[in-house]
Amino acid sequence: MLQILIQGLLLSGLYALIAMGFTLIFSIGRVLNLAYGAYLMVGGYIYFWVSQSLGMPKLIGVAVAAALGVLMGVLKYRLIVKTLKGDHVAVEISTLILAVVIQAGIVLVFGDSSKILLPIVPGVINVAGASVTFNILIATLISWAILLGLYAFVRLTHTGRAMQAVSMDAKGAAISGIDPDRINLITWGISGALGAIGGVFFASYTQLSPSMWVAPLIISVAVVIVGGIGSILGTLVVAHIVGFLEVIVVATLAPELRGVFTMLLIIGVLITRPQGLFGREEL
Amino acid sequence: MGLRWFHFALWGGLIAGMFLLPQVVSNGTLRTMIFANYLAIFAISWDVLSGRTGYVSFGHPFLIGIGAYTTAILTKRFDIPVEISIPVAVVFTMIAGLLVLLPALRIRGSYFALVTLAFMELLYQLVQVIRPDLTGGTRGMSGIQTLTRGAANGYYLSTALMLAIAVSMWLLMKTRLGTALSAIGMNEESVRGSGLSTTRLKAFAFLTSAMIAGLGGAFYVHYLGSLAPRALFDINFLFTIIVAALLGGTSTIIGPMIGAFFMTFLLEYLRPVLPGAERYFVYGAIALLLYMYQPKGIVELVKRGFKNLSKGRTA
Repeated sequence: MLQILIQGLLLSGLYALIAMGFTLIFSIGRVLNLAYGAYLMVGGYIYFWVSQSLGMPKLIGVAVAAALGVLMGVLKYRLIVKTLKGDHVAVEISTLILAVVIQAGIVLVFGDSSKILLPIVPGVINVAGASVTFNILIATLISWAILLGLYAFVRLTHTGRAMQAVSMDAKGAAISGIDPDRINLITWGISGALGAIGGVFFASYTQLSPSMWVAPLIISVAVVIVGGIGSILGTLVVAHIVGFLEVIVVATLAPELRGVFTMLLIIGVLITRPQGLFGREEL
Repeated sequence: MGLRWFHFALWGGLIAGMFLLPQVVSNGTLRTMIFANYLAIFAISWDVLSGRTGYVSFGHPFLIGIGAYTTAILTKRFDIPVEISIPVAVVFTMIAGLLVLLPALRIRGSYFALVTLAFMELLYQLVQVIRPDLTGGTRGMSGIQTLTRGAANGYYLSTALMLAIAVSMWLLMKTRLGTALSAIGMNEESVRGSGLSTTRLKAFAFLTSAMIAGLGGAFYVHYLGSLAPRALFDINFLFTIIVAALLGGTSTIIGPMIGAFFMTFLLEYLRPVLPGAERYFVYGAIALLLYMYQPKGIVELVKRGFKNLSKGRTA
């Protein structure tokens, strides 16, 4: 029982970290970024390259991954999203194509075989019979810190409030003197950085492989759908629902069924309450 | 219906040309053409639903997979002849199409795309766990009965199937029903305002799309003789289908066909130049650039080219 609780909390923290960048883009840019999973993958691989192949300090590895994430987010907004001028279907499909291109690029540079990432923070602690690696513990703590920081940023700073305004009504925001283009650019940058950092921790939790981008994308999709758009706290709550659901299913039913209930949850929520559990009415 | 003599001439020419092809080209090219034919069937199926009505489906492998798995299980595990198993597979796929329709009655846009993606992922995980003695679990199935022997026969079968589907869909889209489906993609509210039942129209589009997907999936698995969950319920497979339809040109029949042949042969011609995984890199990049340049696809590019030519002549 206690073991389920601990594992559930840790996994949920990781999931919240993964899903946050995706939610941000969906809430503010109104775009499904299907290449988001690819950001995570690139973040993980860059960290691997900098810290394990080049032997640099781990913090620099995370920083380089985050910087590259920002760059990818900004480039994508400038080159694809802005060029297609808000045609949502076109943006979604081009991000899907981009994800496949990035996957092929990763195979090209790093090869097809999967790689094991050394734990970012080594060490294991025993809590109530459950062994908890420091690695995932740190991931959970960082995830909480980033979530709270993001919440404060969106609520308290001028830029954050401008982001909220653009998310509600881009035209109205523009009339009030906000440049929606700049806000979108900032959002894409933040989302890219969050994705890359989430990718580093996700990769250290599982392993690096060119097809690793699908699973976190599906988790992000689940969290954003069940949580609804425009709610950071909703993201946190739903990440816990999804995480605990998975841990409980693995512990009580069968490990192979771990993703099945998440999918059923997505389908069920979309059919009965399309605006999500915490989102704004808008469909 | 606005049929003209040149329509028949063009279709006749295409059909005759495709059936005469095995006399000219090698067996290797024929095998590539077979894959292109099946991809064209899947792309047409995607286009009937998503290209026309605007409900973008990210779960088409879900429908294709149900068709493929049904007939594979029936023939391999229960020794049911193909003449029965393929129609049963098509019926099952159509039932699954109705299942996909349920969310579409309430949601649209990005949300619909996501729920279809969830359907695909759900089936991917279920086939590996539920009754692995039937589905073959993670490793899938092999040694499924094949319908044809040799490249030429496989080519004739797949071409006949593809052309039959293409021509019947083309005729269907020429009717008022086809116009109504395209109208849903433009403005669903005004279609309802014109006194048409959008629910019925959508149900029709979903069922037609599922029927084609089921047919394609069933024949495809009887051509390959094997199937594996990761090859079928895969984002890369989905990517190929969608990109084929989009690159060729949505809301047309010839578009998805052109797209499918273009994609398959692009991949094939890249093989000698780039043997490894970098092929997919170039292939995806070409698809992305072409799509960004003209989201309406190759058909639109050709149309514009003709327009410019005729303009040049009159000027």
